[in-house]
Amino acid sequence: MSCSNLTMLVSSKPSLSDTSSLSFRSSLNPFQLPTHSSSSSNPSRSSSVTPIHCGLRELRSRINSVKNTQKITEAMKLVAAAKVRRAQEAVVNGRPFSETLVEVLYNINEQLQTEDIDVPLTKIRPVKKVALVVVTGDRGLCGPFNNNIIKKAEARIAELQGLGLDYTVVSVGKKGNSYFVRRPYIPVDRFLEGTTLPTAKEAQAIADDVFSLFVSEEVDKVELLYTKFVSLVKSDPVIHTLLPLSPKGEICDINGNCVDAAEDELFRLTTKEGKLTVERDVFRTQTVDFSPILQFEQDPVQILDALLPLYLNSQILKALQESLASELASRMSAMSNATDNAVELKKTLSIVYNRERQAKITGEILEIVAGANALT
Amino acid sequence: MTLNLCVLTPNRIVWDSEVKEIILSTNSGQIGVLPNHAPIATAVDIGILRIRLNDQWLTMALMGGFARIGNNEITVLVNDAEKGSDIDPQEAQQTLEIAEANLRKAEGRRQIIEANLALRRARARVEAINGIS
Repeated sequence: MSCSNLTMLVSSKPSLSDTSSLSFRSSLNPFQLPTHSSSSSNPSRSSSVTPIHCGLRELRSRINSVKNTQKITEAMKLVAAAKVRRAQEAVVNGRPFSETLVEVLYNINEQLQTEDIDVPLTKIRPVKKVALVVVTGDRGLCGPFNNNIIKKAEARIAELQGLGLDYTVVSVGKKGNSYFVRRPYIPVDRFLEGTTLPTAKEAQAIADDVFSLFVSEEVDKVELLYTKFVSLVKSDPVIHTLLPLSPKGEICDINGNCVDAAEDELFRLTTKEGKLTVERDVFRTQTVDFSPILQFEQDPVQILDALLPLYLNSQILKALQESLASELASRMSAMSNATDNAVELKKTLSIVYNRERQAKITGEILEIVAGANALT
Repeated sequence: MTLNLCVLTPNRIVWDSEVKEIILSTNSGQIGVLPNHAPIATAVDIGILRIRLNDQWLTMALMGGFARIGNNEITVLVNDAEKGSDIDPQEAQQTLEIAEANLRKAEGRRQIIEANLALRRARARVEAINGIS
């Protein structure tokens, strides 16, 4: 008789009725146990449990499988923690680039303050069509990460439809891709695969797509939806306006909150009180004045024209990196919860197993004693 | 007196050491930079950067960006940079052919813009390999 995965019952023989009700908690989807509230003094069982008698062998194999699952979830948590460190290093590696870029951008803007700049990437047009770049993850088992960003995307699409604007989606990441593929009523411009560690090449691919969409006037506004990494347990899906860029290099939120380009946020994986935490530091880059005899080889407008795609690239890369970090943090906490649940499940299963075993032995002893009595 | 060259991409530092001379491709032509060059700022086109170290020339393919030349300090910010020695010749040639085919097939403003960019990049990579030989 095989033990069904859905419900389990301990044989409630009167001799074992100390704790006749057990608490189970559903940890991972494969198990799908009903959740009971643990009540040590409550002898009655909830009516949703159908009595199924599990044999010793089934219990033992169940305990083994829970043990293996626990090993896997623990390993996944540690791997995610290691990857957060790598993601952090990637962010640190990108800082020299963005610092220098911001310096130069500031200086050029100072020189151009009096002039009228006409760079294609900063052109503000009346908005008729909006492109949404949605950044999701590639793999599952990361808690609510992918769902949150997709819900935000759907909400934004509904908003745009309410405003009467047309829209198209650029989906980055396998999870987003499979979601939008199943919904052909949402126009998707291009599907891009995410990678384990975002590099400049991926950012370039997205930037190319977005650049050509904007410059060819197919869309009038490009918004970037990604998950901002707040802390190890909290991440926030946000929407940033990517194009048109402001010449000063500010990045504006959908609500109009603008972050200055010189402010940079950096996150660090550290330990506090023995537990892994993430701290965010805000840096402000020093904007040193250019040497006054600095000559521009080309027209300052041309130079700005060359700088802004660089800025676009680095913004996209930053968004990808933050998204990756939030995915990893989400996975860490989801796997940590799963491990804890597996430990508890194993404990309760072991108790049940031991009771079964003892009951069996007691039964055999009783039989032997009864048989011996019958003979004498 | 040597120049200190820094080539930065958004996710890593490609080059950060001293060189004797560089030749940079800009929007308005190629410029050579020797030690004690006057400070200038220039946009960098998609093309190759030649670096001289002690009579040996190295090529690097740059995918467009910006360069600032200060007191013997050159900072080049580019979207992507590949050393000529790191590029696989056959793969680069294939990419070039695919890019050319795409440009011929391209219709509509947007595809032409994309195809053009891809072609220029592929060409830069192929030139970077040929530059060494």
